[in-house]
Amino acid sequence: MRYSDEVLRRVRELRRVGELDGEHVGTGEVGTLDEGTVVRIQVQRDGNRIATARFKVFGCSGAIASASVVTEWLEGAPIDEALRLTAARVMQHLDLPAEREHVAKQAVDAGLAAVRSAK
Amino acid sequence: MIYLDHHATTPVDARVLDAMLPFFTEKFGNAASKQHQYGWDAQDAVDRARKQLASLIGAGTKDIVFTSGATEANNLAIKGAAAARRGERNHLVTVVTEHRAVLDPMASLERDGWQVTALPVASSGLVDLVALSEAVTERTAVVSVMAANNEIGVLQPIKEAAAIAHAKGAWFHTDAVQAVGKIPFDVAGLDVDLASMTAHKIYGPKGVGALYVNRRRVTLAPQLDGGGHERGLRSGTLNVPGIVGFGRAAAICRLEMAGESARIRDLRDRLLTRLRESVPGITVNGTMVERLPGNLNVSFDDVDGEALLVSLDDVAVSSGAACTQAEPSHVLMALGRTKDRALASLRFGIGRGTTAGDVDYAAAKVHDVVSRLRHLSPVH
Repeated sequence: MRYSDEVLRRVRELRRVGELDGEHVGTGEVGTLDEGTVVRIQVQRDGNRIATARFKVFGCSGAIASASVVTEWLEGAPIDEALRLTAARVMQHLDLPAEREHVAKQAVDAGLAAVRSAK
Repeated sequence: MIYLDHHATTPVDARVLDAMLPFFTEKFGNAASKQHQYGWDAQDAVDRARKQLASLIGAGTKDIVFTSGATEANNLAIKGAAAARRGERNHLVTVVTEHRAVLDPMASLERDGWQVTALPVASSGLVDLVALSEAVTERTAVVSVMAANNEIGVLQPIKEAAAIAHAKGAWFHTDAVQAVGKIPFDVAGLDVDLASMTAHKIYGPKGVGALYVNRRRVTLAPQLDGGGHERGLRSGTLNVPGIVGFGRAAAICRLEMAGESARIRDLRDRLLTRLRESVPGITVNGTMVERLPGNLNVSFDDVDGEALLVSLDDVAVSSGAACTQAEPSHVLMALGRTKDRALASLRFGIGRGTTAGDVDYAAAKVHDVVSRLRHLSPVH
């Protein structure tokens, strides 16, 4: 199975990797090592928008690229727009095959959990 | 791009390509055309190539059967021998770490009523000769043990295994694809009955292989009918350019093997040293003692294997075996590796064109990528 150039690019040029702490930070973590994918996304909220988003992930290229896309789209987004994030959009943007849907979903779930927990 | 996947395949040597080209254009005859010069030229070229290959493995020319590759040679050996001995014998013995081109024919025969024993290996990758002698009985038709493993490069004790087979009247086959041309391999000295080989692992073209058949000891039921070529054992018009290339590739190996294998071993050892110095949490898969000089197979802790391969954008290596993707390697699992470790493994194959610069670059790149992925992980 070959990934799209967009996926490869995001895996080879990692952006927004890291951790956040301090005020108004929310965290979402999904998956276990046994399952083969662990994704953690953190966001820092500034009023009604997400100011910063960072990720850490253990998993395949699809998982890495999905987390990368999610943090890119969350950063700067108003909260209500952030909460409308879907796995389908991520899959379309990355041209992920159907059998890779779960990694896109995990990244989105982690992102949404981070947004919801950021006060 | 740096190519370090020489167990998957090799580039065609320029000298081999030179030898092949006339047989596509000027000397394009069918070797079976007995009535004119085109056919005679093709036949002569095939005879020459057969001699070159036979010399490399210490065989007689009459014992070489050309095929479309090693997969076909394995099928001919295993299914052909089983069919010939059906009725008098009902059992086959092999090893869990064999290539799928041996395991799948065995599985097919098992569905057909044959009993198959697949022996485990130690964490070294070596088969236990005591276990082998207990497994082989007076009902065993064929024992198949590969000479050199394609994933971990481990060299099985072929001479001893063949003797164990013969002691009970079983025939002995070896998939010698990764051994021929790389390490000394003499069918008479080893006393094997059947041996499979292919051109594209030794700087020859894809699509041509051969089976050594000790016709004094074994008979095979041919798997392809249609004209009786290759002494009735393998019908079909011969791939003359491919065979010419195979012969030339074999001749080059015979001349250059000793010096080349020493050079390749040094480069492989250099790669391992560099990796050990710079990357913590690595495990070498399989013994380093009885091993192909150009092979290295390493597992990396806390790294996703697929992400590792993708991130090595300008170094061509493989994870486990080239043929089976997205599945943990059955060879690494047989060594006792967990599924995760089996997945985060890299197989390096040093080759004729590999330089010290290539090795150093690859080691540095692996170090960078592994560090980056470990830093990326939330659980490392």
